[in-house]
Amino acid sequence: MAKKSDLLQGTLDLLVLKTLAAEPMHGYGIAQRILLSSRQVLDVQQGSLYPALHRLERKGLVSSEWREGDNGRMAKVYSLRKAGRKQLEDEMEEWSRYIAAIQCVLEA
Amino acid sequence: MKWPFQKAETDLDLEVRYHLEALADGFEKEGLTRAQAMKRARAEFGGVEKIKDECRDESRWNWVFQIGQDLRFGWRMMRRSWPITAAAVATLALGIGATTAILTLADALLWRSLGVPNPEQLTELLWTSKDRPEGLIRGSSGSSFMDGGLRVADFFSQNGYEAIRQAAKGKAEVAAHINDSAVSTSFAGKVTVAVMRGVSGNFFPMLQVQPFAGRMLSDADEQAGASPAVVVTHWYWAKHLGNTEDAIGKTIMINNIAYVIAGVLPPEFTGIVPGDPTDIFTPVIFESNFMSEEGWYRKAKTDPQSWWIQLLARRAPGVTPQQLQSAIEPAFAASWPAQPKSAEATPRVRLLDAAQGLGKIRRRFGDPMWTLLGLVVLVLVIACANIANLLLSRAVEREKEAAMRVSLGCGAGRLMRQFFTESMLLAAIGGVASIGVAMVLSKLMVNLLPNGLGEMALSTGIGLRALLGAGAVTVLTALLFGLYPAWRTARVSAAPALKEGSGTGGTMSRARWAPAKILVLVQVALGVLLVTAAIVFTARLNELVAKDTGFERDHVLLFDVRPGEIGYKGDRLQRFYFDLEERLGALPGVESVGLARTRPMRGGGYWDDVGIPGEKKRVGSAIHHTNWGFIPALGVPIVAGRTITVQEARAKAKVAVISENMVRELGLASPVGSRIHFDKFDYEVVGVAKTARYSEMDRATPPVLYIPFPYERTAATVVLRTAVPPLTVLAAVREQIRELNRDLPLVDIYPMQDQISRTLQRERMFAWLCGSFGVLALVLCGVGLYGLMSHTTARRTGEIGIRMALGATRGNVMSQVLFEGLLLAFAGLLLGVPLALYAANVATTQKLLPEGATPYWTLAAAIAGLTAAAVMAVLGPALRASSIDPMQALRRG
Repeated sequence: MAKKSDLLQGTLDLLVLKTLAAEPMHGYGIAQRILLSSRQVLDVQQGSLYPALHRLERKGLVSSEWREGDNGRMAKVYSLRKAGRKQLEDEMEEWSRYIAAIQCVLEA
Repeated sequence: MKWPFQKAETDLDLEVRYHLEALADGFEKEGLTRAQAMKRARAEFGGVEKIKDECRDESRWNWVFQIGQDLRFGWRMMRRSWPITAAAVATLALGIGATTAILTLADALLWRSLGVPNPEQLTELLWTSKDRPEGLIRGSSGSSFMDGGLRVADFFSQNGYEAIRQAAKGKAEVAAHINDSAVSTSFAGKVTVAVMRGVSGNFFPMLQVQPFAGRMLSDADEQAGASPAVVVTHWYWAKHLGNTEDAIGKTIMINNIAYVIAGVLPPEFTGIVPGDPTDIFTPVIFESNFMSEEGWYRKAKTDPQSWWIQLLARRAPGVTPQQLQSAIEPAFAASWPAQPKSAEATPRVRLLDAAQGLGKIRRRFGDPMWTLLGLVVLVLVIACANIANLLLSRAVEREKEAAMRVSLGCGAGRLMRQFFTESMLLAAIGGVASIGVAMVLSKLMVNLLPNGLGEMALSTGIGLRALLGAGAVTVLTALLFGLYPAWRTARVSAAPALKEGSGTGGTMSRARWAPAKILVLVQVALGVLLVTAAIVFTARLNELVAKDTGFERDHVLLFDVRPGEIGYKGDRLQRFYFDLEERLGALPGVESVGLARTRPMRGGGYWDDVGIPGEKKRVGSAIHHTNWGFIPALGVPIVAGRTITVQEARAKAKVAVISENMVRELGLASPVGSRIHFDKFDYEVVGVAKTARYSEMDRATPPVLYIPFPYERTAATVVLRTAVPPLTVLAAVREQIRELNRDLPLVDIYPMQDQISRTLQRERMFAWLCGSFGVLALVLCGVGLYGLMSHTTARRTGEIGIRMALGATRGNVMSQVLFEGLLLAFAGLLLGVPLALYAANVATTQKLLPEGATPYWTLAAAIAGLTAAAVMAVLGPALRASSIDPMQALRRG
């Protein structure tokens, strides 16, 4: 298994928003998706997703409802709201600028 | 039902469990057992409880969880310093409770509007004159009072009423009512005693009262040929008429006469005067006094010199009282049977706002109520000072704790909220307890108030508005001083507070205790005022009760019989009274049997002018229609001549016994054998009785005329003089009366002593409440002083330890603490004395106290009481200070 990296402070929210942009999903699904798409590099404790989700919900960026999950149990499914989509765009832009700035310094 | 935050908690639980089980499902597929899979899932997930907690922090319901924490912590802190908590709760409860009870009473007596639409349009019609209007009035029924040298009266003659009603047309609707009277009723086999009031047909239309059931009375009910009808209050209907609409149209027997129940008044209409005892309203012509053949009212109706009708009017919208007054004044004057003798004896109309009902009760209870309100506000101030003090002393104790929390990262907001929650918790407990106190106090007041008034005051329960008002003041105080420590901590940096060691080492700076000391000072000063007031008014009551009545008041039993109401008439009625006299007179223990038209010492009574035949001079006097046994039964000594004999009484002879002061006022040289004039007849004076009280304790003793009792009266008060304690003969008396007629009830049975105290209800209520405020003030001052001293000594343990180590004896330490505490108390007393003297001065000018009753000895007693309370309060802390072990104190410091 590849060496794992710590998640940068504040980037979890961005990852969650990005994941939800594709489709509504429950917490377990989001966790699996992040692990999958990061090729299991990011060392995220799966539970730490939930405070982030609740925070985003309180801020009105995502909404939630109870739906039947794959295993027949009820799962809380989150979906992106309009404000969340806007926030995602802003943060992605911010992130690109940040990366670009770091790159500039590293390659100078 | 689930609360939102409870749902949030289960949702969180379900969400986390879903994730764990989904993970475990995956691991199970990889070949792990279920238990191993769950274990691994937990590890992947991270600390479940920690994450849940972080989620809760993000929740909208976060504050609910935090309040729970704050409350639990607050409760622990309160329990740790439970004496302070208990003192604060007790203070809150007593302060709010007392204020609520008094405000409720004041609201009911002074401020509550009548339960009718637009009560502000109601006006009471009265008239004033400086001198008695000679020639205009021969007899009257109603009430009058003095207002700055003017006599104000509420009674009008029939034609006066009609003239005024005519003249007011278009400007106001004027309706009439007459004095209420007690009647016996029988409905569906149930017999009760009720209060009946006669009203004019337009009375309820004028008030705009809509019936709860049936109909109201109208002009048609007093037309010739109408049959007797009544409307009853909602209360009476619910209690005595079965609470069903079936009662409408049925017949109720009142004093053995059939009346039709026309309707029921709405529950919000409780009468036309605060505490109106009226149960039954009927047209004036069917009022019980009207129905009886001997009734004075019947004659009065056609006599312009009999004034007996009271008037209540509703002004049309936009009509001012002045406009109404100028409209009716000339009509009123034109209705008089003769011209007044002088300008001073000319009646003038006076209008009185009646939105809160007739002014009678306000006049009687207004001044004492305002005084009580003033006193209770002082109690509230003392209570607030106490709470402030207790919380301040706790604040000092908790400064270190607060500093600790701040340095561990607790935000100022969170800290404020913690203290806020604690103050609210304290206030809530005190508030709940205060409801109990208010209810107990209210119960007490009900027993102290005249019949009906107390029940009325509480008919709506303890006043919610009053409770909220008093609660708000105290809770505000609690919050203000409860938040003080948080505010202080947020301002100062944590380091010095933490460094101050255990907090018992240093001496306290004077400045920090200054506010607490000032509060105690104010408390004690106000305490002097309250305790003095308590002693003064209690003493005044005792003085009134003990005042000489002029007759021998022990061993007298009073009760009423109403044979006329169960059908006795003419000869049979007379025979009944003769039998009653003989039977009761023969009972062992009964010395004499008196019969009277007017019950002695009930208030009111029968008043008229007495003169000398052929002379113009008239003396206003009280009349006792009595039998031969009355004067000895009441115990009034005969100073000259003799009393009325059996033969004279039974023959209704024109003889009279007059009181000594009447002899003086009439200027009779040799009274016995002289003749006097009263009510169209001349009487021969056969005896002179010692001056004795007639109906009231708190007024001047009037001249009294005793004349034979006409045995045709339908009702009488029986006055028994006994050789034994009066109530012991009651069983035998009942037995004798049952043998005469088993349907005849005995009404209002009291020994004379009780009858006398009943006339002093106002003074009694006043004295009791002042007394309890005084005690309350003593207790609160004690608590305040105790709180302050025990905390200053606790903070100075280290200092005291050093002093003792340096050679101070226990006696030195103790006397030092005592001295400090008492010095504070005496400073307060010194402030309080001029305050109390000033208040006494005000009370005298307001006529609450008799002239020249400057209460020096009561002031001394109050100071002694407060000093005793102060010593008791300071003794505890002083003893504790003197028992400090210097070694331990120093080691701890």
